[in-house]
This record gives sequence, C-alpha cells and structure tokens, in this order.
Amino acid sequence: MTDQVQIKIKRENSLEEDNPSFFWIKSEGQQKLATENLVPGNQVYKEKLIIKKGIEYRLWDPFRSKLAAAIMNELEYFPFENKTKVLYLGASTGTTVSHISDIVGPSGIVFAVEHASRVARDFLDRVAAYRKNIMPILQDARRPKEYFSVFGKVDVVYVDIAQPDQTEIAIDNCEMFLKKGGYFFLVIKTRSIDVTKSPKKIVEEETQKLQSRFEVLQSIDLHPYDKDHAIVIAKFRG
Amino acid sequence: MYSVILTELGISVFDDEKLEKAFSFSNPVKEYLLVKNKESKLNELINYLISIQRGVSVSDESLLAILKKNNIDSQIMEDSELERIQASKPQIIVDSGFASNPQDALGKLRDFALGLSSSKVTEVSESPDLHIIQAINSLDEIDKIANALSSRLREWYGLHFPELDNVIDSINGYAQIVMAGKRESLTKQVFEDAGFPESKVEMLSLISTKSRGGDISDVNLAIVQSIAKQILDFHDLRKKLEEHVESEMETIAPNLSAILGTAVGARILGRAGSLKRLASLPASTIQVLGAEKALFRSLKTGSQPPKHGLLFQHAMVHAAPRWQRGKIARAIAAKAVIAARVDVYGEGLNNTLLEKLNVRVDEIGKKYENPTEKDIRRPESFRRDGGNFRDRGGRRDDRGGRRDDRGGRRDDRGGRRDDRGGRRDDRGGRRDDRGGRRDDRGGRRDDRGGRRDDRGGRRDDRGGRRDDRPSSNKNKKRKQFGRR
Repeated sequence: MTDQVQIKIKRENSLEEDNPSFFWIKSEGQQKLATENLVPGNQVYKEKLIIKKGIEYRLWDPFRSKLAAAIMNELEYFPFENKTKVLYLGASTGTTVSHISDIVGPSGIVFAVEHASRVARDFLDRVAAYRKNIMPILQDARRPKEYFSVFGKVDVVYVDIAQPDQTEIAIDNCEMFLKKGGYFFLVIKTRSIDVTKSPKKIVEEETQKLQSRFEVLQSIDLHPYDKDHAIVIAKFRG
Repeated sequence: MYSVILTELGISVFDDEKLEKAFSFSNPVKEYLLVKNKESKLNELINYLISIQRGVSVSDESLLAILKKNNIDSQIMEDSELERIQASKPQIIVDSGFASNPQDALGKLRDFALGLSSSKVTEVSESPDLHIIQAINSLDEIDKIANALSSRLREWYGLHFPELDNVIDSINGYAQIVMAGKRESLTKQVFEDAGFPESKVEMLSLISTKSRGGDISDVNLAIVQSIAKQILDFHDLRKKLEEHVESEMETIAPNLSAILGTAVGARILGRAGSLKRLASLPASTIQVLGAEKALFRSLKTGSQPPKHGLLFQHAMVHAAPRWQRGKIARAIAAKAVIAARVDVYGEGLNNTLLEKLNVRVDEIGKKYENPTEKDIRRPESFRRDGGNFRDRGGRRDDRGGRRDDRGGRRDDRGGRRDDRGGRRDDRGGRRDDRGGRRDDRGGRRDDRGGRRDDRGGRRDDRGGRRDDRPSSNKNKKRKQFGRR
C-alpha cells in the first residue's frame, strides 16, 4: 500500500508537466484518479467533476473502469496519450471509452465497437454524441471486416469483451487493425471463459495464446476493484 | 483498369490515382445500407460504367454483386489494394470531393458512424420479440407485487374480519368483498356479486354476523380499500398482458408457441434475449434455461446436472412422473429449438413438429412406465447430497469433472461419491455401514448379493423408512424442481 501512496504523490506533481495523460486529484481528502474533461460540463456516469486552476477534471472510478483499476494496481505501460488512435472492443456504456477519449484529445480517435444494442443505446446518448473523437461502431467484434468507418492502423487495441473465445477474437482484430509495435490491452474476465477452472490458470492459458504474436509485458490482477478479472498488456510483434 | 471504390459517403471511380467520377450519397446511411444489402439500383454509376466500356475492379463484395447483375465486367480488388484503401480512406474521401479536407472527412465519417449506429439501435428496438419479453417480465412482476399486496390485505382487513381469510382462497374475491366495506355492510348481494356459489354465500353471511374481529376506523378502511382496488386493477392488467403475450407469441413465434405454449415460450424467449438468439442456441441449453445455478454447480462440483429449468412449467414435464421428466424435457427442448428456427428463418405453422413430439412423449410414457431402482431412490440421496453440498464446495471446484476417476481420495470423504460405482465395490465394507444411499446405484451392486435383496422386495431390511415414502408422494418430489 505504501508504494501506491508514493506513486500517487509523484503523479500529483506531474499535474504541472507538459503532456500528462491522467492526473491525481485531491477529493474528499484522498488522491483520486482523474482525466481532463474533453467536453466541460458533461458527465458520463455521474462521476464527480472538479475544477482546478480553471481546468475541469472528471474523476475516474476504478470500481467502474478496469483501466483505472489497472492504474491503481501499478500498471507500468500507459500508451494512451494525446493523438493516440485506439480500437476499443466492448465499449459497453462507455465509461472507460469516455476517459480514453479525454486522454487522446481532439486529434486522437477512438473506434468504439459494441454489439449489444441495449448498452449501445446508452453509449450513443451519453458518450458518443458529445465526443467528436469517438467513432461508434455497432458491430459484432467477431467480424472485423464489417466495421465500416474504421481506417488505417491504430496505436492501441483495448479489448473488454466477455466471451469464451475473447482472446481469439482480439487477436483477429489486432491482425487487421493494430500497427506493428502497437500496444494491446486484454481484459480477462475469467468467469466468462470457464467457471470450472481457477482464475489464475485461465489468465496463464490466455496469455499463452498471445505468445506467438505478442510480447507480453505485464499482467495485472484487478483485485480488489474487480473479482476474478485481470488485464494483460502486450506489444504486437506484427 | 478502373477501380470503383465504395466509401461511406459515396462511390468513386478512379483510374490509377486519378479521380474519374464521383457519385456522392445524399443520405449516406440509407444509401450505404442499400448498397450493402444489394438493393441499390445505382443507375448513374451503371450507365457511366457501361459507357466507358472497360473492366473494373471493385472494393466491395456487395457492390460487385450489383455491378455483375448489370453485366458489367468487374472483379474484386486484391487484398493489398483493399488494405491501402482502408488505410487512406479520409484521403480518398477528400480526393473524391465528398469532403473539403481530412478533418472534414473525419467529421463526416463520424456523423455517418453515429447515424448508422442509431439506425441499428432503432431497428433492434422495434423488433416485436423484445416487446414480448418486456410483457412477460411485467406479467411475472405483477404477480409478485399482487401476491405481496394480497398477503398484506389479508393481514390488514383480517384485523377487522379474520374469519374471511380462511374461507376465501381467491384473492380477487377477497378484494371484492373488501371493496364493499365494513362487516356490517356485507350483504348477500355483495357475496353473490363477487361470484361465490349459493352455499358459500350462506356461510359467509353467517360468519360475518359473529366475527371475532375488531372495529376498523373509516380512515383505515379507506386505505385498505385502495389496496384492494390496486389488487383488482392488477388482476385486470394481468389478464390483458396474458392475452397480449398470447396473441403476440402466436404471430411472431407460432411454432415455438405450439411446442412450448405461449407463456413458457415467452419466458424462454426472455431468457434467451431474442428470438434470433434463441434459434441459435443448442437444445441442451434450452433444456436447462432457468436452472443456471444448478447447472454451474454441476459443472463445478460434478454433481448431477439439472434436468429442466423453465421447461418444468411445461404441462408435459410438470404432469409426468418424476423419472420421465428429464427425458421429456430433452425431447421438448429439441423440438422447441427447431421450432424457433422455423419461426426465424422459415414461415407459417408446421404441425409435424408437435405431432412428432407427442409421439415421442407417448413413447417415453410407455417405455419408462415404471421407475427403475435408481429413479426411486434418487430423491433421498439428493437430499443428503444437497445438505452436504455447501461444506464440500470449495475444494472441489478447481478439480472439476476429473474428480471422479480419482476414486481413492474421494472415499475418505464418504458417501458423496456414490455414483462412481465400480471403484467402490472393492471397498465394500465401508459401504455397508453407510447403508441406504448406496443402494440407488442399481446394477452394479446386485452381484454382491446381500444388500441387493432389497430390490424387488426393495428395502425390506430397512422396511420402515421405505414404506412411509410411497412413490406417489408427488409434493415432496416436486421440491426437487430443477435438480436431481
């Protein structure tokens, strides 16, 4: 725990740095994660908005967003920055997407893929409609060839789809859209892959599947923010 | 060779890198989808391509099909070419004049993506099966609310007229009586209007005069009456919903309704999420929809899998003897999924499905008319297993199915392993003292004499216990719903 406190304090200073991706903001006596709001005044999931030195920040809840949980659990690689191009599979209602959209800024772009129309409804209303750097795509991630409106290669692929074959789907997408040397974030929801196996083993197995095409950099257990979830970060060899 | 490129904002014809002609969409989302569905006419483009009289390569399969239909010499582009187009899409859009600069192109692409997504959301929200799911779920929730309110009403009005509770079962009748007001104002007419038979009316009038209940103030009565009013309203609403679900199911899923009945069909539909998804499920999944808890427990611990989930509500399963239910549920699930597929991809009502199902269910009824040894003993063994289940939990999980073949370790954890016949036999001795539960694993035991005598005379040696559980004791068995 002491380590985390140190990181937080370090990040607090980085608020003044030139091009920071995310911030640590003091709220209710605690250092909390936040991003600079791309659309001031706009709330996505009733998160707290804090104005500091004339800039509006949105608190980033690690219990709602697995990427934030990963940062809390000492994520070492953070390839999201200004102008990054991201392919995001499993946008859901757009909590994490909105923060990534904050980070990549107006000249970055997030291709957000979601299949279920019920959650896509909320995503379109609350997030995609306000943020000009989000390209909403209502398609099945199993068929990357049918994504209209995606162009070029992206810098980062972020996958958060709860399917038994999620890793295979993710690799297919990386092959089509991820540039060589690009980063790959895979959220593994172990209970959706197989309830009968131990979570640890599943993470190992899924990581194994990446070895041939990716260099696995880090694997993070999201406890206590999410039970039986992990994030694997890898680099695409091409 | 000319290349014809489909973009979100229009169709462009290029000669090498040079733009020859561009046909922009006035309503991109609509026209793009028309092309994708191969429904566009694209007269202008076709006329132009005919006039230039050259072979063309095309960037999109659907567009290719449209051109081929119009006898234009065309072929699909090579992968490398497609990749290049995909990579430089904003530039192509600018070159074609669909946008003034890359930034503008991006904005237009985003508008397109937003429009396309919205149109999909709209389309999905309009599908009738989603409305049926909402209706059947409302129905179930209304039942829940009305039940809770009913018990409250009986409690409250019971302070004033406690005897009424025991005499009247139907909550509708009860609520109607409450609506009439205090005990003194309950005339024969009131009871008759509430639809009770002559004999009951007599009795009701009698007990209302010598009730043990206390007085109720007007203010309290008014509130109790509004609760009763709500219950009556719920009753009407429920009826309406029921009819609605029935008629809707028969329109959009006639085959499924024929196999499952409208109510069970709608509930299964609700579990699956949509008719299309239901049609893509395996029958085995449909068989256990609604018994997820038991199913996952079975996967984790190797306990018996559930025989039926929601399907238990199906008349055929419900009315059948317990040992036939699994077989019948399986037969119904198999036919139900075919029915769902016919509803989605075929049309009309296909009666052969139901006929075949009936034949099969009759066959099951005849073939398995009598329970086997195993079937009779099962409920008891489950009860014990079930009781133990929790404290066995954790250790099992990660070792799942394989557990079975590792007999040895199992044994020391006693009785539970019953089902793994063979192994056990050689350890006979221990078995005996654990008595009863073992018996149910029929066949194997027989050759080991003694204990098996009970088959036939069946449990003679333990006589007493057996007798008080005649196999017709349905109510008890019903509690096993969804499990074995």
